[in-house]
Amino acid sequence: MEFVRQCRLLTGHYIRIEFAQPERLISSLLFSTTILLIFIFSMGKTEPNLVPNLFIAESFLTGFFALQISFARSLEPDTQDEVYSLMRTYPLSPSAWFTSKYCLVVMTGTLVMFPTILVAAFFHLEARVPLLHPEIFLIAFLALIGLAAIGVLLSTMMLGANTRQILYPIIYFPLTCPVLISAVEASRAIIDGTQDLSTLFSSWLGLLLIFDIIYCTIGFLLFGELTKAD
Amino acid sequence: MTNTDKKQFSIVSILALGVAITWYIGLALTPTDQAMGEIYRVIYFHVPCAITAFALAYVLFFASILSFRKSSNQSVYWGRAAAELGFVFTVLTLATGSIWGYPTWGVWWTWDARITTTFLLALLYAGYILLYNGLPRGSKRTKACAILGILIAVDVPIIYKSVTWWRTLHQPPSILREGGSSMDPEMLQALLLNFGSIFLLTGGLLYLRVVNLNLASKLEAESYNAMES
Repeated sequence: MEFVRQCRLLTGHYIRIEFAQPERLISSLLFSTTILLIFIFSMGKTEPNLVPNLFIAESFLTGFFALQISFARSLEPDTQDEVYSLMRTYPLSPSAWFTSKYCLVVMTGTLVMFPTILVAAFFHLEARVPLLHPEIFLIAFLALIGLAAIGVLLSTMMLGANTRQILYPIIYFPLTCPVLISAVEASRAIIDGTQDLSTLFSSWLGLLLIFDIIYCTIGFLLFGELTKAD
Repeated sequence: MTNTDKKQFSIVSILALGVAITWYIGLALTPTDQAMGEIYRVIYFHVPCAITAFALAYVLFFASILSFRKSSNQSVYWGRAAAELGFVFTVLTLATGSIWGYPTWGVWWTWDARITTTFLLALLYAGYILLYNGLPRGSKRTKACAILGILIAVDVPIIYKSVTWWRTLHQPPSILREGGSSMDPEMLQALLLNFGSIFLLTGGLLYLRVVNLNLASKLEAESYNAMES
């Protein structure tokens, strides 16, 4: 019960901090729209049959870049005014700390990822097949679960590193590839109509879920080791 | 050079000589492949390098697990040594794969699933080394590197299974597969000899690197003490 109480309190507190500075969310959204525009202009006019592939690649890559920035900064409010050091010495459950941080990044991630998919679909109105399916949002959310877990864990690992800004993407990108690949492949199968959700669970979505479970478990178990006071 | 240094140097030299002998066996004494000709002989270096790079990810994994359990620095040094050697062997795998790929596929590099995932492994090993160097010495570095070590080990099964999960240019497994190995027994024996010699050399190099890291740590501690006094 103590865990749930701490989770609820911390999550509420983090949400208040996050939305006290709306520019944190807006900047990620603006960034993703800019990247989308760059993609559209750089690809130029494409064959109509290639549009679904392009839409998936653009949505996930853009979302990924935007999320990487917000995940890397996820522990920033904690590090201000020695809050992070105080929290480490407080009788606080590290799992509750991780869960609340994780819930926040999943929430903000959803608020970045879903509009990104909508904007990408708007930019590709000329597509011959419908691009927006409810399953695409489900897949994006499942990808977000894994990406957020690894994002929070890496963000904590990098605290205090001299080359944090360079290190974060170098480590984050290779680790998130399995999640991205399975999300992209599953989305493509949905848009092409070659597979439905039930069959995808035994292939790409299964792989995506496995990685979600691995990353969430590792994050949940090892976050405490990183934040333990010396 | 102390007696211990001389002993370690001679052991590694003998292991290196073993690698040279097994290469000779692979390069000169095995039959030519009917389909690929002489270029197939890269296999005697490429495949053992790849397997060693993957195996080192598990050395890193066990060293990482141990660093959570033990407070000494030894497991961190084993992890660091495994990451460095893992990086070298992954780069060698990519380089020899490229040399093999040009005459067989007609390209030096292609964004094939196995090549890409192996490249990602090289990036992760490099990331581990950068993280180790980027964090200040202490428990924070030990734990952060240990977590990354565990995550790197997760990548290896994906690389191994990539040729069966995705349509790739890279050939599927030809040794560990259903129905037994598809290789000529003479070639397989030479390949296994090369595996053995490269594994032994890697073990020797790993041990030497750990000794080296211990020495570096002692020197660093002594220089701090000297500065303080």
